[in-house]
Amino acid sequence: MLEQLLIFTRGGLILWTCKEIGNALKGSPIDTLIRSCLLEERSGAASFNYDAPGAAYTLKWTFHNELGLVFVAVYQRILHLLYVDDLLSMVKREFAKIYDPKRTVYHEFDETFKQLKMEAEARAEELKKSKPVGKPVSNGKRQGHGQKGGYDGGNKDRSEGGLANDGGDGDGEGEGHKMGNGYANGNHIGAKDSKMTAVVKGKENTSSNNGAFDVNKLQKLRSKGGKKTDTVDNKVPKVDTKKKITKKNRVWDDKPPPTKLDFTQTVDGKGNGNDNVHDVEEVHGESMMDIEEVVSSESESEEDEEVGKESKLDAKKKGWFSSMFQSIAGKANLEKADLEPALKALKDRLMTKNVAEEIAEKLCESVSASLEGKKLASFTRVSSTVQAAMEEALVRILTPRRSIDILRDVHAAKEQNKPYVVVFVGVNGVGKSTNLAKVAYWLLQHKVSVMMAACDTFRSGAVEQLRTHARRLQIPIFEKGYEKDPAIVAKEAIQEAVRNGSDVVLVDTAGRMQDNEPLMRALSKLVNLNNPDLVLFVGEALVGNDAVDQLSKFNQKLADLSTSPSPRLIDGILLTKFDTIDDKVGAALSMVYVSGAPVMFVGCGQSYTDLKKLNVKSIVKTLLA
Amino acid sequence: MEGMEQWKVQVENWSSQLRELLHQFLQHVHQIPPAQLYAAIAVLSLTTLFLLSIRLFRRKKSNTIVLTGQGGSGKTVLFYQLRDGSSHLGTVTSMEPNEGTFILHSEASKKGKIRPVHVIDVPGHSRLMPKLDEVLPLAAGLVFVVDALDFLRNCRAASEYLYDILTNASVVKKKIPVLILCNKTDKVSAHTKEFIRKQLEKELDKLRASRSAISAADIANDFTLGIPGEAFAFTQCQNRVTVAEASGLTGEIAQVEEFIREHVKP
Ligand SMILES: Nc1nc2c(ncn2[C@@H]2O[C@H](COP(=O)(O)OP(=O)(O)OP(=O)(O)O)[C@@H](O)[C@H]2O)c(=O)[nH]1
Ligand SMILES: [Mg+2]
Repeated sequence: MLEQLLIFTRGGLILWTCKEIGNALKGSPIDTLIRSCLLEERSGAASFNYDAPGAAYTLKWTFHNELGLVFVAVYQRILHLLYVDDLLSMVKREFAKIYDPKRTVYHEFDETFKQLKMEAEARAEELKKSKPVGKPVSNGKRQGHGQKGGYDGGNKDRSEGGLANDGGDGDGEGEGHKMGNGYANGNHIGAKDSKMTAVVKGKENTSSNNGAFDVNKLQKLRSKGGKKTDTVDNKVPKVDTKKKITKKNRVWDDKPPPTKLDFTQTVDGKGNGNDNVHDVEEVHGESMMDIEEVVSSESESEEDEEVGKESKLDAKKKGWFSSMFQSIAGKANLEKADLEPALKALKDRLMTKNVAEEIAEKLCESVSASLEGKKLASFTRVSSTVQAAMEEALVRILTPRRSIDILRDVHAAKEQNKPYVVVFVGVNGVGKSTNLAKVAYWLLQHKVSVMMAACDTFRSGAVEQLRTHARRLQIPIFEKGYEKDPAIVAKEAIQEAVRNGSDVVLVDTAGRMQDNEPLMRALSKLVNLNNPDLVLFVGEALVGNDAVDQLSKFNQKLADLSTSPSPRLIDGILLTKFDTIDDKVGAALSMVYVSGAPVMFVGCGQSYTDLKKLNVKSIVKTLLA
Repeated sequence: MEGMEQWKVQVENWSSQLRELLHQFLQHVHQIPPAQLYAAIAVLSLTTLFLLSIRLFRRKKSNTIVLTGQGGSGKTVLFYQLRDGSSHLGTVTSMEPNEGTFILHSEASKKGKIRPVHVIDVPGHSRLMPKLDEVLPLAAGLVFVVDALDFLRNCRAASEYLYDILTNASVVKKKIPVLILCNKTDKVSAHTKEFIRKQLEKELDKLRASRSAISAADIANDFTLGIPGEAFAFTQCQNRVTVAEASGLTGEIAQVEEFIREHVKP
């Protein structure tokens, strides 16, 4: 069973929820989804799991970027509902038709939703039964439905296509590119072609705007010599201009059918602001149905040929001119396919800056999800739009989620008469001890009394190294040689700090590879036993793809080997050797993205003073340069 | 007929006179040294530009009110209360600002010309903080919404947010008035505005110490807060900082509307 389905604006206003389901959700899965997934540039993921006492939910979502809407479905994880993606994309499509930014109440959608849900469930059921048979069968069925009634049929067509194509894919961004694909693949889909068109039409039928409606008709009619255009014009005089634009574009554009879809949507958006939307809807409802049927029965073979010819023609004419025109007209809705080249380039650029491939990939997915279906502004190119979106995303990621004002935290701990404990963790040779000393120096400068705890009881020479720093900085050091369990040493050090009134204890630990099970277990014990105020991961700015592995494994091991129900994870990152990497600043991004922890310090040299804070703006600039 | 002829002659006369004049003028221009000529042209165009720019800069006073505060404090609900007089079906965490220019719902029935208010609700999620910097310079007034219900848990984070706002360059320079709005007072367990004000002042006082220490690093705040050596109080701010109560959910927002109307004259 579906627990809940919500439709809300990106601004956060709920436009519609299913009253019928009406289950009160436990906890706040939606807010959590938004805060820890959608706003963290993870919206390219397929689903999100939310656990609350007494509930284990899975959430799926889809965006309508042009309208700025978000659709979220919540269901019990154990149920593995198959129809959710399908349902979401259908809901999206249907809701887009009635959406008007000025309206906030959509009671009439209750009925539509009921219908959609039933259909989706039925289809999922069918699919389960006929899985091995696959597409053709369902295709046939679909067509049967389609003939039954224009608008319903239309919907079924589309969504089934989606379902058959990618099953449980979380992308949900169904129709646009899927249809595009179909077309681009070749002309064997002649029959499908007309059917698809019918779908689009069906949509316009109930659609609340005249613009879309006409353009669509036009496209169909155009191939037949535009016989019926005048009727259209009579009904909606306005459309004239739009029509022309579409025509031109059709001729110049490189892949006709997707464009068809595009422009429908484009005009769609425009029509939305229209005031007499509703009247139009009613008036046109039926007539559209009629035409639709006429077209779909007549044009199967004709259109097939037409498309063939046209695509050849277009292939020749395509190129900068068409893209130029598009950019001037500035009205094409972005499709995944349009975005891909720009995203690919951007991904490569990020990777040359040493961003882990996996991260670059995910970011691009997220940016793509946030742009698909959006309208390109006039005089902008796809690449610059993508770049702007990426820049925004990067700033968002790198901006710390929580305050990184350590001094404030130190003072807060001091008020409670507790030392503030920082544990430095990380792999071997990244410069933990050196940077620990730098942090100590910085704290001293701000009149905070510091103590070091030498808990690297593993590597010989580690204690001595720390002792040298302590002597130079003239701060106390707590050490117990090499034999002892580091967790115990840390504990004793903290007790000592309480006694001698130190404000901060900086705990040095042994460097360890993330796969070293015994050492990771020891670290987990140290962290859990002493519950430090800050677990600081020290990482090299030089690492590339390994950054992801290091941080995720550290976090994973800390969580797995923890005995408490709410394990301590990495709270912050100290990035070392930042002076040696030139413009390859990608590790900062990778690490922050993977762990969700902010970069609190950046080590950038050999002396004690070489400790900085991360400059988010300059990092983002460098990453995109 | 006669008159026509005469008239024609007249016109011819005039036109020849005109031609003469033009000729004289051109000659005159030719006599002027070019440097002088260019200077004159430059002066002329500069004055026009100057006058134009004065026009541009002396725009109407801003009518922008910015709603800000931590996530979940109730900004979006407040936004829709101001606009529609209803919180509709409720809200979820905002991913983008809500923005609109409208006549306050409570004033919709008033007669006469009322100046609409431009309200921006900036999401509280810290990842979206950069958005705030974009809109602050536009603001005629700033409403900082605080969750009075769950105040203690959020006190520190709220203070940090408020600190950033009160030390923001545009807020200080333009003396943008700030209203600290203790929201959700429909619930009996909500803290009073006096309590909240005191707690915030205390926290801000502490932040002052640690933040000024940090400024050597990257996150340099542009201005310091309050008077050094004195316990911080909102009265020390250059801009006016006031405290008020409201309940967005139940629509008790009179004090906010008052604030808005004080700074965006109807
Ligand atoms: N009891 C009570 N609850 C309120 C009031 N105002 C808002 N809430 C609740 O607080 C929650 C958050 O409200 P929003 O308006 O979405 O919060 P926001 O400040 O916009 O949050 P972000 O968009 O995350 O920045 C919602 O569940 C509201 O129902 C109020 O006056 N009283
Ligand atoms: Mg909000």
